[in-house]
Amino acid sequence: MYNVSGGIKAWQGKTAIGPQDLGLDLFSGRESAEEIFKVAYSLEGGLCDFYLSMGEKARGSRVKSLFLKLSQIEVKHQLALLKAYNKIAEVEVTRDEFETMVETKAMEGGLTTDQYLELFGSDPDSQTEVISLAMSIEAQALDLYQRAGARLGQSEAGNILHGIADEEKNHLASLGKLMNEI
Amino acid sequence: MKWMQFLTPAKSMGFKEIEAMIDGAKTDEIIILDVRQPREYQRGHIPGAMLIPLPELPDRLGEIDPQKPVLVY
Repeated sequence: MYNVSGGIKAWQGKTAIGPQDLGLDLFSGRESAEEIFKVAYSLEGGLCDFYLSMGEKARGSRVKSLFLKLSQIEVKHQLALLKAYNKIAEVEVTRDEFETMVETKAMEGGLTTDQYLELFGSDPDSQTEVISLAMSIEAQALDLYQRAGARLGQSEAGNILHGIADEEKNHLASLGKLMNEI
Repeated sequence: MKWMQFLTPAKSMGFKEIEAMIDGAKTDEIIILDVRQPREYQRGHIPGAMLIPLPELPDRLGEIDPQKPVLVY
């Protein structure tokens, strides 16, 4: 047992928001491993679309290209999920085939685009604020996958969700590096 | 069961140590326990934190895996 000295006020990393059951309706616990990958793929897709639409609204060329870069990162995450899906699926599918099987209900972290914009009132023309927003979304996604994984416990689905959560942790670290580069 | 961890005082760790511990472990290897009230949790919590408000803790100890390190705040 370790006490976080200073509590949440001393925590300087990204935080997640919302009640403990936020977004958990995306994972009822009855999904197969294949279905979990489909949900995760759709969440990454929602975030990719979000970055693309934010890029269209942004005024500066640097921020526009940053949004494009972030959307491309999400596509990479999607491809990794498709690869993981094909490893366990009975029938291997192409990306186009897979996309017809998923439905985008929300973005990563289980919130809709409008909810994110409302919660993180970021300036879409500031590079640091854009990356900070992206980090907040990744933190939210990490939080969702961990909570969902913890709820499903030591099951195949639970282990897959924890695996995706570990990936999200890496994504968060990558965005931290990107922040240091600008 | 690691009973000793329930009988010994909790070690306090600063942000850097906690961050290093979280970064160095897989997400299912550590329990991050938030013992504040739901409204405080809702406003902001460490990603992946499990919420058990302090008044409920004595009745919900069974939800915490005693085999895993617990970071509590």
